[in-house]
Amino acid sequence: MKDFSIVGQSVPRNDGRAKATGTAVYTDDIKLPGMLHGKILRSPFPHARILHIDTTRAAALPGVKCVIVGEDTPKIKYGNWRLFPDTQDEYPLAIDKVRFIGDEVAAVAAVDADTAEEALGLIKVDYEELPGVFDIDSSIKEGAPVLHDYCPSNISVNRKIHYGDIDKAFAESDYVREDIFTVHAVSPAYLEPCAAVAQCDLDGRITLWTSTQVPYIIQCLLASTMNMRENDIRVIKPFVGGGFGGKMELRTWEFCAAFIAKKTGRPVKFTLTREEEFLAGRRRHGMKLYSKVGFKKDGTLTGKDLKIYLDGGGYNAMGPTATFLCGTFGAMLYRYPNYRFLGQHVYTNKPPASAMRGFGAPQSLFATETQMNIAAEELGIDPIELRIKNAQVTGDKIPDVATISSCGFIEALQKAAEMSGWKEKRRSPKPGQGIGIGCYSFISGGVFNWFNTQYPFSAAEVRVFTDGTAHLLTMAADIGQGCDTVLKQILAEELGLKMEDIRITSADTAVTPQADLGAWGSRLTMMNGNAVVQAAKKIKAKLFGAVSAKQNLNVIHELDCKDGKVFPKGRPERGISFGDAVALVQKANRGEPIVERGYYTPRDKGLVTPAFSFGAQIAEVDVDPDTGFVKVKKFWTAHDCGTVINQMAVEGQLEGSIQMGLGYALSEQFVMQGGKTLNPNFLDYKMPNAMDVPPSEVAHIHTYEPEGPMGAKEAGEGLAIPTAPAIAAAVHHATGYRCKDLPITPEKILAGKRQ
Amino acid sequence: MRLSHFDYHAPETVAQAIALMQAKPGARLMAGGTDLLIKMRHAGLKLQDVISVKSIKGLNTITVDENKGLSIGATALLADVALHPDILKYYPTVAQAARGTANAQVRNMGTVIGNLCNASPAADNAPTLLAMNAEVEIHGPGGQRRMPLEQFFKGPGITALQPAEIVTAVHAPKLAPHTGTAYISLSARGQLDCTAVGVAAMIVLKGKACEEVRIFISSCGPTPVRALKTEAIARGKELTEAVIEQAGNQAAGEVKPIADVRASAGYREKMVAVLTRRVLSQAYTRASE
Ligand SMILES: Cc1cc2nc3c(=O)[nH]c(=O)nc-3n(C[C@H](O)[C@H](O)[C@H](O)COP(=O)(O)OP(=O)(O)OC[C@H]3O[C@@H](n4cnc5c(N)ncnc54)[C@H](O)[C@@H]3O)c2cc1C
Repeated sequence: MKDFSIVGQSVPRNDGRAKATGTAVYTDDIKLPGMLHGKILRSPFPHARILHIDTTRAAALPGVKCVIVGEDTPKIKYGNWRLFPDTQDEYPLAIDKVRFIGDEVAAVAAVDADTAEEALGLIKVDYEELPGVFDIDSSIKEGAPVLHDYCPSNISVNRKIHYGDIDKAFAESDYVREDIFTVHAVSPAYLEPCAAVAQCDLDGRITLWTSTQVPYIIQCLLASTMNMRENDIRVIKPFVGGGFGGKMELRTWEFCAAFIAKKTGRPVKFTLTREEEFLAGRRRHGMKLYSKVGFKKDGTLTGKDLKIYLDGGGYNAMGPTATFLCGTFGAMLYRYPNYRFLGQHVYTNKPPASAMRGFGAPQSLFATETQMNIAAEELGIDPIELRIKNAQVTGDKIPDVATISSCGFIEALQKAAEMSGWKEKRRSPKPGQGIGIGCYSFISGGVFNWFNTQYPFSAAEVRVFTDGTAHLLTMAADIGQGCDTVLKQILAEELGLKMEDIRITSADTAVTPQADLGAWGSRLTMMNGNAVVQAAKKIKAKLFGAVSAKQNLNVIHELDCKDGKVFPKGRPERGISFGDAVALVQKANRGEPIVERGYYTPRDKGLVTPAFSFGAQIAEVDVDPDTGFVKVKKFWTAHDCGTVINQMAVEGQLEGSIQMGLGYALSEQFVMQGGKTLNPNFLDYKMPNAMDVPPSEVAHIHTYEPEGPMGAKEAGEGLAIPTAPAIAAAVHHATGYRCKDLPITPEKILAGKRQ
Repeated sequence: MRLSHFDYHAPETVAQAIALMQAKPGARLMAGGTDLLIKMRHAGLKLQDVISVKSIKGLNTITVDENKGLSIGATALLADVALHPDILKYYPTVAQAARGTANAQVRNMGTVIGNLCNASPAADNAPTLLAMNAEVEIHGPGGQRRMPLEQFFKGPGITALQPAEIVTAVHAPKLAPHTGTAYISLSARGQLDCTAVGVAAMIVLKGKACEEVRIFISSCGPTPVRALKTEAIARGKELTEAVIEQAGNQAAGEVKPIADVRASAGYREKMVAVLTRRVLSQAYTRASE
């Protein structure tokens, strides 16, 4: 472990006070003079052709200033996979066809939201209803209704991975296990519904404030969809109340706000309702997974054959990435000498699924981990022993992916077992109780440049001042995960300053350096952290040179920054204050301020990720034998995120992950009928709340990731993965019911428990 | 959904409220509004007039009288009932049902009477009060009357109230010695949820045998359902395991639940058996103490 000052501490979040006191300004809080309020008309049908839209009555309603439909727009499709324009399948407003209940058909802007809503009811749309498909199997059947003309098979993305000889591997295995798993869609359920405010200046340039995870992607895609130049669009991310993957694409209301602002010359705001979010918002992919694994008698894995169908909904959204990643995650945690994967992304007439915390991993690893638990039982090996036998270790190479440069998986397994009293509880559980394990590995940001950015993946600008302070500018988007705090910490550590010495300006595309791909894939600490370190190092080089000259130091001296001072390490008493050092450099350059930039783009790291996190989680449950109700009594988690930059922040990620994993495992689901969501509110969409979350214990396994800033890697998404398989395994231990189709409901337990 | 325009009235006496209801036939009463406003905002209920009962003096009283029993006024909050020391002491199941309703914010706005008048088959406060033989006090153009709660529910959202009538209180009788009550509800999320199925029971013991048994089941029909045949099985008997088992099975047979977003019909039926067994044995234990 390196010796850090601020890194590794529990530093309160930058935004904590503003949020707790209600002074934080979210997009919906923004009010501009003359601002109009927008509402969106959505399709009532899961699949229909639009024959005619009559907006005259709506436009005539007093107070309505603008009504637009798809035909009024430039009719340019968008989608995040710019590298493959074929995958861009969505218009901001439907042209010709609607593909799910809630698909956006028209938008109205009026003097207030009530008037806009009333106007929606006056728009007359003639539809010709078409037969719909609502599940994977019906959608891929011969002769099924086709959603997109360009894609007659309804399978929009195919992904294959193949190495080794899988057939030979199974032939040589002592034990081969084949299972089919199904996992359901869930909602990111961020507490701030999406909102956007747009303003157009007299030169026609747009400023868009929006609740997004990806300001830069919004800037670029809004430009292309509006047929404008990127630099004529400025995207600002105010405070954001969570995203979890659901806010990482350009969306209809962002386009409509900008388009209507340009058309009317007045600012326009759209804010979604919770019902809209539940009915039409992005979701985590439901999937059907066919998994076959082989083992030797002693538990050594021989190979895996994995086929996954993703239930994509009406459009691709971030489905292509999920399709790629669920295959990569299928063989990341353990050593599979032979692996074959086929992933297919399937259109259905449901709200589009997209990125959601874990991006394909919670689904893929639910299958992996459940099958591992089944195999352990059938091979007569303790589930933790079986994992240790096959666990990745530092230096392992995942074919076609990368070499793992740091890995504390085995230590995590051992630690989790020790903390939870695994051996004893596993051997002799109390009646109705059980204990089970789930594990994960995850990426620290992605390498594959599907957005086809022409800029570095992350960038940071650092300015330092003679008063001993610094200003960090970055496009990185803090959406509640806390990257503003962590990036400030990294800069403070590197420059030897205090948190309060650092001002941060983030996520404003006109002001912060180009570019940043956004808050997803657990990339910001790793990638933006590296950019900050690089910028800080350049600053330090300047300061060190100046201090060296001023103090007339022998060239063999190394200098350092700490506690607000710049000093030779061997002669700390000859140091000067940080501000004075800045002044020296400025003097030597006739007053020019010190500004440096740092960048990071993963290179020579394969196409998946520069670094991998690992972890193990154990759940203990109590199952009511009569009602089938599961009460999770406790979680124990041991995880390796490299250097822990901010203890509190990492533990916050863990708590949030457990809450999400609990819902995914036990209570959250969309009740759907013919493409319609029947539970579009928090009363009937059963997201666990604070009182449902059991106590938990955590151990950070210390590793140092050479590629990461100060040894750090990811802690944001991986932790969302193990909870569901751990609970499922514990329920099996308690009742004999083995869940292969999430969620685990009391009814399924009663039907499947041992008699 | 757009909240349509409505006039808001805040009468200060019951008589004024009745007069207003007579003058505005489409008007609805509102207590905490935690049901009513949601219907107006999300379920398309359009009202011209809303009459708040919250300004009516004296309606928020809760009394526990040695002879007259428990009385909960129309504007007494769920939170007040949940924490009332005398209710906790003498009618603990009533407090428990109020505490188990919704969340702290809703309990600080919503009322027990609103919960009853909303007439949801899932209402958490109904089964216990029904089991205890409670009565509602009604004021209207024709004067004042009392009605057994058992006759009050007519269907989902429908009560026996006549036009321009208002419920001013609910009364539970003084409980006989050796009386035990219990209420258990199930829902998919632990601490805050709408009930997917619930059962309440009251048992009065004479010696070891049940002299009186009343059982009500929620969320399994258009109104809370009384399990008459189940009561008959337990009445006059000592509650042995065999009797309890038999009663549970009978109760499951007495309901015809539907499937909805909260649970399937089959699961509800099974749980009626489980919960009936549990409330009977809890109430029995409490009555024996
Ligand atoms: C988030 C949330 C969670 C909830 N959870 C639960 C739960 O767990 N269990 C549960 O049972 N309920 C639950 N509810 C429903 C609701 O909160 C309760 O039914 C509450 O008790 C209603 O009381 P109120 O005072 O708000 O009623 P209001 O909404 O004011 O009124 C309800 C109905 O009763 C009528 N009414 C009110 N007072 C009178 C009167 N004096 N005379 C005649 N008619 C009258 C009104 O006209 C209206 O039709 C929940 C609601 C929400 C929003």
